[in-house]
Amino acid sequence: MAIPPYTLGLLVAVAGLIIGFMAIVRERDDLHRILLTDLAEVLALVLIALVATDLAEALILPGLVVGISELMAVSEVYIAKEGLRKPPAKPAFRIEIMDSAPGILALILVAYGIVLSGFTGGVVAAVGAVFYFMCRDHAERFELIETVSGYAWAIWIGAFFIFMFLPGYWLFGVMMAGGAILLKVMAKMSLVGTMRGGSNV
Amino acid sequence: MTPELILGCIILIIGVIAAGFPRPRTYLSRLICLEIPGLGLLLIMLAYDEMLALVTFIGVTAISTFVLVRVIERRGPE
Repeated sequence: MAIPPYTLGLLVAVAGLIIGFMAIVRERDDLHRILLTDLAEVLALVLIALVATDLAEALILPGLVVGISELMAVSEVYIAKEGLRKPPAKPAFRIEIMDSAPGILALILVAYGIVLSGFTGGVVAAVGAVFYFMCRDHAERFELIETVSGYAWAIWIGAFFIFMFLPGYWLFGVMMAGGAILLKVMAKMSLVGTMRGGSNV
Repeated sequence: MTPELILGCIILIIGVIAAGFPRPRTYLSRLICLEIPGLGLLLIMLAYDEMLALVTFIGVTAISTFVLVRVIERRGPE
């Protein structure tokens, strides 16, 4: 008798959830608990991924957004609570590759992100931008990022009006929405790269 | 029942145990162990052809690692 894949996956996910929550309950340190929250998020995503349709894919994307923003908020709260405001004075060691790699790697990731477009492309391009900002000195102007983000939002809304009033031009609308959400996600997420502090922050 | 799904489930369980009860109980070892269940999730997504979710998960994992490393860096190792 063969077990259907969905049942097997559900059993594995439930077993994982039990182990994961047992670990959270037994943990006393707050930062360890934050790390285990990440584990719980992965297990929740497994439950959604097992549905195995386009709907699952559409549900995983907002799940990832909520997960990353929750993680950022909780880590900020933890830093404020423990009074860890003081940024580290200097990196403990110098790695030569952190001088040469960021430009090339960021270029590849941003180019691939533009090919992907949409939310996925935005995240991929943002990883490149974050890596660049973290390794190099950053002196970007935050008003510019805010302006780009605002225009991208307006273009995104415009794309929805095209879907509603000119459905014949749906391909144009898809391209507008995909490009705009790429810009918006990339602009917002690349701010993560400046979180360690710098000349302009 | 594809091989990716079976392998993904096995790696997921191993990873959950590794991340739940890491051997040297430090922040860094737990952060590294967290990548293992992520790999299991990636294999499960691969089994069901969820390409967009897979690429986005890789990107978001990279960004969340930056966020967590920043907190650990300020807290100090231990």
